[in-house]
Amino acid sequence: MSFPPLSRVLVTGVSNPLGAEVARRLAPHVPYLFGCDVNDPIDALEGMDFVHADIRHAAIGKLVRQLRIDTVVHLAVMVDSPHDQRSIHETNVIGMMNVLVGCSGSSSRVKKLVVKSSQAIYGAGPTDPSFFAEDMTNFDRPSTSVTRDLLEMEQLITEFALREESSRVSVLRLGFRVSEDTTLARYLSLPIVPTFAGFDPRLQLLHEDDAAEVIVRAVLGGHPGVFNVGGNGVVLLSQAIAIMGGKAAPVLPPYGRWMARVALKALARVEVQSYLADVLAYGSVMDCSKLEAAFGWKPAHSSRAVMDSLARGKEVEVIDSPSPPQEYELQVYLQRRRRNARNGHRGAPALEPHR
Amino acid sequence: MIQEITPKQRKKNSRPADIVRPQEGLRLPKPIRRLQRQAPLYALQGLTELSASLKQATGRDVIDLNRVMDFVQFLNKQRDLARRGPNYAVDDFGFDPQWTESFLDVFMVLYRDYWRVETTGVENVPANGRALLVSNHAGVLPWDGTMIKTAVFAEHPHPRHVRALVASMFLGMPVLSWFLRRTGQTVGHPDDTRRLLERDELVLVFPEGVRGTGKNFKDRYRLRRFGRGGFVATAIRSRAPIIPVSVVGSEEIYPMVGDLAPVARFLGLPYFPVTPFWPWLGPLGMIPLPSKWRIQFHAPIHVEDNPPEAAEDQNLVMALADEVRDTIQQGIYDNLKLRRGVFL
Repeated sequence: MSFPPLSRVLVTGVSNPLGAEVARRLAPHVPYLFGCDVNDPIDALEGMDFVHADIRHAAIGKLVRQLRIDTVVHLAVMVDSPHDQRSIHETNVIGMMNVLVGCSGSSSRVKKLVVKSSQAIYGAGPTDPSFFAEDMTNFDRPSTSVTRDLLEMEQLITEFALREESSRVSVLRLGFRVSEDTTLARYLSLPIVPTFAGFDPRLQLLHEDDAAEVIVRAVLGGHPGVFNVGGNGVVLLSQAIAIMGGKAAPVLPPYGRWMARVALKALARVEVQSYLADVLAYGSVMDCSKLEAAFGWKPAHSSRAVMDSLARGKEVEVIDSPSPPQEYELQVYLQRRRRNARNGHRGAPALEPHR
Repeated sequence: MIQEITPKQRKKNSRPADIVRPQEGLRLPKPIRRLQRQAPLYALQGLTELSASLKQATGRDVIDLNRVMDFVQFLNKQRDLARRGPNYAVDDFGFDPQWTESFLDVFMVLYRDYWRVETTGVENVPANGRALLVSNHAGVLPWDGTMIKTAVFAEHPHPRHVRALVASMFLGMPVLSWFLRRTGQTVGHPDDTRRLLERDELVLVFPEGVRGTGKNFKDRYRLRRFGRGGFVATAIRSRAPIIPVSVVGSEEIYPMVGDLAPVARFLGLPYFPVTPFWPWLGPLGMIPLPSKWRIQFHAPIHVEDNPPEAAEDQNLVMALADEVRDTIQQGIYDNLKLRRGVFL
């Protein structure tokens, strides 16, 4: 490829699990790796220099210039976050603006910018087509605050890409992820899951491994443009709940999202963001063919496999006290049996095939 | 060929039975549990004897045992569906073929016994590959879509699932959104049509839309405007033949004599029908009348012979749309002549 090799890479938002994973995978490929975040890093990485910096302040621009960064990996974008609307806006829009200030101008050495965006940018509604292509964002609908912020953020990036023709900008719209600490995973793991009465949407999920992998590939290769990144296939909400071993309770009122969100908070102690509430009613699926064509790669885990791996995690997690190995295996076996019996199987699969 | 298995092999391949977890809670005594298990069989035996004695007494088939067995099969299918738990796959549009087929049995009863549908020209539907079915739309509720789906699945030598396109408004409604998606329907969006056709599916469109279903009874069998010909452009781009479909009988299931527009606006519906029975009789008014139906699949119009650029040629697109419309209208007149009466 015809662009200079990377030498100085800055990863923003490196203290969240995805950022840490990306930094870990990038470290062997990059001579100088810098990470910045407001929080302390979650694990020590030898090859990375950590800088305490808040992207909401203009100082980040100076930092980019001072460190003579040539590649910025911007992962400090809050989508699934417990913070309030205002600080999400500050981080996503103002933070992006500050980073772009650092990247633009003749004094900047930044040649490549990779930004994490989200499937949440499409929102979800009954009038949408079944698959979102990359150009289907500007729908005329009362969008949620997260969607609006992401749209504004990508607007800034588009303007930057037009202005600075020499730099390569990739925007990765990552699909919804269900690692343990995401809202969607906490919602799906409930023993009784309140769902919208009369709706069974399609969900498209992305594995954490694939999310980190696609960011690393975008950094190491040069793929300018906007890309949807989602798992192959779909899984129905009812299916996902059954895979997790829960029971779906169609009790949420289909009209009036705020009522449903208040009910969920009161009943299940899960605070579902408004964009996610829309997705749980109407579903959201992206068309990822552009990613496959450009990267020559597609996520290794299908949506169904992502759900299965979450269920496996839960299965092992339930055993709390450390016990001798045979005891542990018995516990896992019994757990699986119980789950399968609930899912309508007769008997249970043996741990190893019987010869 | 089925391979013979010797007892020795069978023993070698066998595995000990899984230990079945005893049922929790109260267990009924064994004789009662046995009775529970065997009750369906006893019921069927009793029904057989009853049917035989009734036939002797009256000389006619009062209880049709075939229908009874169909019903038993339906129950068995539902039980199998419940047993699969989450272990099934849906396609990217959310279509679950096995689930849909179990419900086609219900529609089959309507198709065969209630509306006595006579289907002609089903051989014009290709056994594989893509095609766009274009039909007239009538009746207040879209029963014609279900009957076209049932006709292709039941009458075609190579049963296929038809994927209908529905107005996005219905996908925003509870229950309907779930049911329509699960049975293979999707939004009437050009992008969706293209994707379905690219997967070599049979796609059904109603270009009249709600203008067709919401028309007054006095306008019956008069086709409305066929959209803006978008379906022709999509078919040319996706290189799919168009198969016009004429449906007769759907107009009489709910004779709509009026439309309460303010109520419809309040409820967010395209129209609020008034028929001789609805809303006066409450839910009873929703029962469709048993008119006699005829469905004709016409010979395919090969729009895919045009080059893809022809999709931009509005003149050609409108001419083709008119051709499709005329074929359907002519088919409706032909089938109306062939029908002896509205309810015969």
